[in-house]
Amino acid sequence: MNLDFQHCIRCTICLENCPVFRVNSDFPGPKQSGPDSQRFRCDGETPVDHWITLCSQCRRCEIACPYGVNPAEIILREQLDYGKKHYRPLVSRLFSRVYYLGNLISLIAPVANRLVSVKIVRRLMAFTGISDYLKLPPYRFHAMKRSWRWKGSHKSKRKVAFFYGCYLNYNRPDIGRKIRDLFASAGFRVVLPGQVCCGLPALGNGDLAAARRLAGRNVSILEEYIDRGFDILYSCTSCGLMLTQCYPGILDMEGGKKIAENTYNIHEYLLKLMDEGLLNLIFESVTEKAAYHIPCHLKALGIGYPGAMLLERIPGLEITVMDDLCCGLAGTYGLRKKNQDTSYRLGIIAARALRDTGASYIITDCATCRLQLSQLSGMPARDPAEILFESLKGSVNMKRKKKL
Amino acid sequence: MNKGTYDAVVIGGGMSGLTAAITLCDAGKTVAVISKGDPVCCLSTGCVDILNSTDEPFDGISSLPFGHPYGLVEQDLIIEACEHFMETAARGSLPYAGSIHKNRHLITPIGMKKTTCLVPKTMEHANCDENEGIHIVSFRGLKDFFPSYIMLQYSNTGCSIFDASVSSTIGIAERFEDERFRETFADWLSRQHIPEGKIAIPAVLGIRSSFSIYKELSQRTGRTFFEIPTLPPSLPGIRLFKCMKQAFLARGGHLYWGSEIASVEKLGAIIEGVTLKNPGRVGRVQGRAFILASGSFISGGLFARMDSVQETVFGLPVYYPENRSGWFKDSFFSRGHQIEKAGVEVDSSFRPLADAPFKNLFICGSIMARSEVMKYGCGHGLAIATGYAAARSCEGFVR
Repeated sequence: MNLDFQHCIRCTICLENCPVFRVNSDFPGPKQSGPDSQRFRCDGETPVDHWITLCSQCRRCEIACPYGVNPAEIILREQLDYGKKHYRPLVSRLFSRVYYLGNLISLIAPVANRLVSVKIVRRLMAFTGISDYLKLPPYRFHAMKRSWRWKGSHKSKRKVAFFYGCYLNYNRPDIGRKIRDLFASAGFRVVLPGQVCCGLPALGNGDLAAARRLAGRNVSILEEYIDRGFDILYSCTSCGLMLTQCYPGILDMEGGKKIAENTYNIHEYLLKLMDEGLLNLIFESVTEKAAYHIPCHLKALGIGYPGAMLLERIPGLEITVMDDLCCGLAGTYGLRKKNQDTSYRLGIIAARALRDTGASYIITDCATCRLQLSQLSGMPARDPAEILFESLKGSVNMKRKKKL
Repeated sequence: MNKGTYDAVVIGGGMSGLTAAITLCDAGKTVAVISKGDPVCCLSTGCVDILNSTDEPFDGISSLPFGHPYGLVEQDLIIEACEHFMETAARGSLPYAGSIHKNRHLITPIGMKKTTCLVPKTMEHANCDENEGIHIVSFRGLKDFFPSYIMLQYSNTGCSIFDASVSSTIGIAERFEDERFRETFADWLSRQHIPEGKIAIPAVLGIRSSFSIYKELSQRTGRTFFEIPTLPPSLPGIRLFKCMKQAFLARGGHLYWGSEIASVEKLGAIIEGVTLKNPGRVGRVQGRAFILASGSFISGGLFARMDSVQETVFGLPVYYPENRSGWFKDSFFSRGHQIEKAGVEVDSSFRPLADAPFKNLFICGSIMARSEVMKYGCGHGLAIATGYAAARSCEGFVR
């Protein structure tokens, strides 16, 4: 058993940062579900705290804790143990296989997208325990995995492999292709490696074995690219958290450390190149006001807010950075009927705060944050990469200082 | 030097660190703040104690023993720092009341008096004498708040309990952010037939927009309210921290939150950068100057071993009372434990003393030697004054 929880001095800072605790009094908060209860838990015992599954794994407690206790991880381990020893509802089983589902749905995307609006299908979905307050994003047939697998010159010494993740793959391949093209036009050789789901939905739905299976496949694929001199890039912050923290951490994957050391957030990577003087991005000026919502998992990555730092360099773009709001959806968490109320209330709080900034649209890295916030605030929500790509219109503006 | 180099990197995201960071941002510098977690400020009452051992805090500062860090800050600069803080807070819609020339007294959840100086406007009317009519409004199931204790101390008091259907301070505060809840609450309040006088309420009036909620409630009911700060989780402390953090972000500052410093990159007597401990790859933050505001023991800026005290980030020389047997007084609650004097000694430019190992490092806040924050009751005040002064000194250095 990990004894880190003994560093807890019960200061309640984690509790102050827990979004679920604020709106759902059934959840006792990270202090009690994490370090406090941990003292009473024994290895091999069947977990009985059913409220443990109410944690959305946003990790805000972990970021806030000044004493190095990891309430979120303590809770996650307990959730996994709970999932192993209790009957897992159908909806958990479905969501932990969201990658395979996506594979299927995208094949019949035009039909599937229509089917979701059919009443009986919606009833069926509600019956299995899927929440119904959000309009689910449409699936695309022309997924990232069916896009051109590489771009940029073979001879280029700068090589990157883009881990696009499920959402860009099936739902927004247009953004994914923009990111691919952005790096290609900056003189990179970009490859879209064959990949499977990062495993986060499986982890979040209490299926450790499935998460490890998926992680194993990704590790073996990505390791090969790293050996060939590629840097791995991700744009989805939750995928990034899996690759850099969970693979070497809770999943304890062989080779996980290597993946973590060579994996970068796309904005972090661009900034790094700009700082090293290898890349010079020239932006067209705009007159826009936007609110940058920092997703919980971007905060948890511990890399600062690179997307915001990059967007600050666009002349005329006024951004308000908001890092204390959790959108509440937390991947598949809010899509479950039992968490619908929590998710909705948190979403409304965040949407209101973002609207109050007076911005005309929301920028955020996380796809599920965009889904939730755009629908609840009525403001458009966009990916920072989209904004970057637009203000760089055409590769004409992109000048390389040195030969890459 | 590459573009990613900040003019100043502040280590520690508490009151002193954020004050320094905001001051530097206002001076047009690029600033980053690195913090391993949320600061002790979140656990505080949100009130700014300048100096609690006297009635006139500003005049009292000059009579502090020689070597107290307040002595390093010129008197004008202390006034300027406090004005700067009040302005920053007001711009973040968390206005403060009070003057640094006069202390005031708040009622605590156990009916005792707490001396402090600058208070959030929601506590402006908390100066009460024993016979004044006070009516306490509390919430069903609220822990660590004791109206009956207060009623024992103040003769002319009454109490009503509202059922908010949640019992945590944070849960109730989140409800107050909702307009319909405020309406229900105000309606209920007007039906209580509360006698003339002030209405005291635990500090749960919202998280993000406390002052406007407070104003709205006063207008709706036509009564004078004041908040009583609670035990942690303490909303006024959280509001203050969030307000300062948001002020820093709004000025274009960059945050690296949740990361501890792994190592320091130095070239001779110059610190060039620090690396951040991350589960994956280490991050790097470079700066021309560094400000250390990592706090005292509770914040982890200082660490006590059996026979010595260490500074945890740069390994700076630390002053501490030599004999461990003299570190503590017999009673935990007695003021002035000698160990409180431990800290980093600095010169008049806020650089570490003792052969000044680094030329571009500035120190502020409770990590400074002989600050004895608990003894004198000067936590936030010292943080604001030294944070501001250290930033000014740092500004001169990076100019």
